[in-house]
Amino acid sequence: MATTLPVALVLGSVSTTAVAEPMYARNMSTFGLPGGIDTPTAETLPDGTLGATVSWSDYGRRGSVVFQALPGLTAVLRYGRVDGINDYRNDGYISDRSADLRWQVLDEQGWRPAVAVGLQDFLGTGVYSGEYIVATRTVTPQVRVSAGLGWGVLAGKPRTIDSGDEGGTPNVDQWFRGGTRPFASVSWQVNDRLNLVAEYSNMDYVAKYSSGAVFQQGDEPDSNLNLAAFYRFGGNYEVGLYTIGGNTFGAQFSIALNPREATYPSGLEKAPAPVRPRPAPQADPDGWSGVWAQDPTAHPAIQTALGDAMRKEGQTLESMALSANRAEVRLRNARHISQAEAIGRTARLMTRALPPSVETFVITSTADGVPTSSVTVRRSDVERLENTEAGQIAAASALSDAPAGAPGLVRSEGVYPRFRWSIKPYVDLGIFSAEDGLTHEVGAEARASYEIAPGLVLTGALRQRAFGNIDPRGPGIPGRRGEHYTPEEYLADPSLETTPQGVPRVRSDTRMYTGNNDPVIPELTLAWYAKPAPTVYTRVTTGLLERAYGGVSTEVLWKPVNSSFALGAEVNRVKKRDFDQLFDFRDYEVTMGHVSAYYEFTQGFTAQLDVGKYLAGDKGATITLTREFANGWRIGAYATKTDLSAEEFGEGSFDKGVTLSIPLGWATGQPTRERVSADLRSLSRDGGAQLNVRDRLYDHVRDSHSVKLYEGWGRFWR
Amino acid sequence: MNGVTKITLAAFLLAGLASCGNDSENAGPFGALAQTAGQVAAERRAAKQPAAPAKSPQEAAAEALRVNPGPLIQAGFENLGRTQVMAMTGQNGAMRTYMTPAEEALILRNGLLVGTRGLGHDLSVAEPQTEPLIRAGAAGSGTRVMRYFAGDGVERPLQFACTVGAGPNPGVTVENCEGHGATFQNSYMVQGGQIAVSRQWIGPSLGYVTIQVLRP
Repeated sequence: MATTLPVALVLGSVSTTAVAEPMYARNMSTFGLPGGIDTPTAETLPDGTLGATVSWSDYGRRGSVVFQALPGLTAVLRYGRVDGINDYRNDGYISDRSADLRWQVLDEQGWRPAVAVGLQDFLGTGVYSGEYIVATRTVTPQVRVSAGLGWGVLAGKPRTIDSGDEGGTPNVDQWFRGGTRPFASVSWQVNDRLNLVAEYSNMDYVAKYSSGAVFQQGDEPDSNLNLAAFYRFGGNYEVGLYTIGGNTFGAQFSIALNPREATYPSGLEKAPAPVRPRPAPQADPDGWSGVWAQDPTAHPAIQTALGDAMRKEGQTLESMALSANRAEVRLRNARHISQAEAIGRTARLMTRALPPSVETFVITSTADGVPTSSVTVRRSDVERLENTEAGQIAAASALSDAPAGAPGLVRSEGVYPRFRWSIKPYVDLGIFSAEDGLTHEVGAEARASYEIAPGLVLTGALRQRAFGNIDPRGPGIPGRRGEHYTPEEYLADPSLETTPQGVPRVRSDTRMYTGNNDPVIPELTLAWYAKPAPTVYTRVTTGLLERAYGGVSTEVLWKPVNSSFALGAEVNRVKKRDFDQLFDFRDYEVTMGHVSAYYEFTQGFTAQLDVGKYLAGDKGATITLTREFANGWRIGAYATKTDLSAEEFGEGSFDKGVTLSIPLGWATGQPTRERVSADLRSLSRDGGAQLNVRDRLYDHVRDSHSVKLYEGWGRFWR
Repeated sequence: MNGVTKITLAAFLLAGLASCGNDSENAGPFGALAQTAGQVAAERRAAKQPAAPAKSPQEAAAEALRVNPGPLIQAGFENLGRTQVMAMTGQNGAMRTYMTPAEEALILRNGLLVGTRGLGHDLSVAEPQTEPLIRAGAAGSGTRVMRYFAGDGVERPLQFACTVGAGPNPGVTVENCEGHGATFQNSYMVQGGQIAVSRQWIGPSLGYVTIQVLRP
């Protein structure tokens, strides 16, 4: 091949000045982030990388999920089995969750090494608790050396774990305390695939408890010297073999995904129908004069033709207003992740369908049958700027709030009522459960929705389990850790539905809803979406809202189209559903809700603050931070703190978790709005529990609003 | 029944179920994956069939000229390893859109490549300042901006410094471009101001396309 342009060039920076490559990791440590073997380094992963590592040895098994949240900030969630420790379960091992944060303070530059500080296992019960400062420097292009100071386990001075602690809160008073020792590592990149690492580590794999118990995990390392070989293949995968101290051996496997590395960056969707320029005025005098608009058959015929063309592109023409010089179309986008692509394709189809005198195009996006924004563009600009840099058509168009109705708007025939149904398999996976390890349930789900009129939707689902190992189970028995009520015991005594601390069991008995071998109804709702003012959206959802609650959920959202700030409020009156998930209810009933503030920062970061009352009647706030990419990737973290004490809340002390959503089109290149989503909660308890009602307003509305629309605007001419 | 069979059976069950419904745009991840898997399986089956002897590019061109009365080009995508006849589906001023039957598109402005669509690693738009030099067959230099989608969904420009001049073969103008540590060379055979045959660089993944005008 004559060309040697690296693909990385298109993926990365485009500035013409040479910028030194940041110091990216060559391998993952056994703790699942850039490192030596057990010790950390100051390396990072490419910004946005999401990875996972599974590491096995006689010391235990660790499964880690890593996210490079910012160019310098690495975050890890870890779920592990720590061998050699006996707790109340007396299994010879414990299941442990932990989280790390690392901040690369300085990147390598000239003579100066990269420097990072990190907190290891800074939440939770603290088997791996330690802190470090580490510097890494490239010595030759193949060799990197790291050296640092460690505290806690990294210094071989494990902290005493409070046996009675619920965990989950930062143990700030212990950070960087209790004596320090150095650690170091050397990595040698033999070739593109093979990397050899040697390190000096003080980790001795001892756990001490406040009860006085001291456990040696596996065998005590024979020496402080650890060795490893890592092999990369397929671009995204890495396997490693290592020895800790010469007498314990381990293996690991890592995968890393970068949202920036799509299989087909531009997508494989079919080419759009090109713009059809208007004929010269003398060639079509009637079309240019606008007399066609007097013909009552013109509008219906044009609307049908345009609607058919849009349907072929996966779009729905919900309604249209047409006059001699202006056309407004209301567009429901069912195919493209980027609303701009749907708008751009619709604009081109309009040049092919509308008579020449129509000069003003108004393309109004709808969500849930409600208009969300209007893009107004001159037809001559669409003709003039076809297939140019997308910024030009952005500058020539205007984005405005869309009123609920518009004069002359005619609904397309056959769009409402709209009935859709599907039968598809479902898979429920539980990954981060300390008690059970990996759990699953597989079955079939029938789902139907009937849109009676714009914004009025009846939705129902019916599930039949086929197989799985998520069996029904009562909540844990207070004071007897590791033991659970049987479903029969739990059903027999209604007083058990309140914890001894007086907290109603709103989520901790969630396993009572699982493992049902009869058909269940996960949801059956009637939802009504409306727009009382150009910047105000409302939702009322009533019925069986989710697996465990039914009732009424109401929401209002204020979101001007060009504002990055939004306000919302939600009030729900719900009753707990019976465990058979049919039409019966249990005794617990609550009115709960919250007010929300939303803000869209630049660079794809969004924040949401909810303040209000949660399902158990506890009051508090949830903060959510999300990072999203123009291609649709979303990774977020949230934490909820309410007025329940850590003891009332139980293990974990407060609710927190990570959400992840990957658009399927990113992996396959096919145009689809489908996503693969996951919600990793560290724990699911009664405090800070939110109602899981579908289709909250904010995410639906903002797809076509300024920040998100312009983020994906490059796809206008796609 | 051993475990492997059970898993296969379950997978078949899932794939079979995935296709039920009238909601093709919202078939769910399994539905979409099943469709993709179905396509792959169909392609595999098709590959196993004793295929009819493939038409040579010349035969394909002759047939297209007989069937389609409109403007036609023949495009050879070097990295994709295929040569296809493409028919004009739209003209906007000097800009023409040519498509394959599978609706992949090349966008040309008077024969100069300005974009591709539907190929997965498309060129969004090219802005060659060298265009007047190429048309005039003159020597000179200019910049060329090529815009691509990066994997994160953002369109990014790459800028190249190009020189235009006569090539080694008579009648062929050559454009040499350099930037971002890469080089490429576009060749144009200009006849009467029109580019009749050309070999142009689409981008790092798709490489070069050779375009021959079958019917202007």
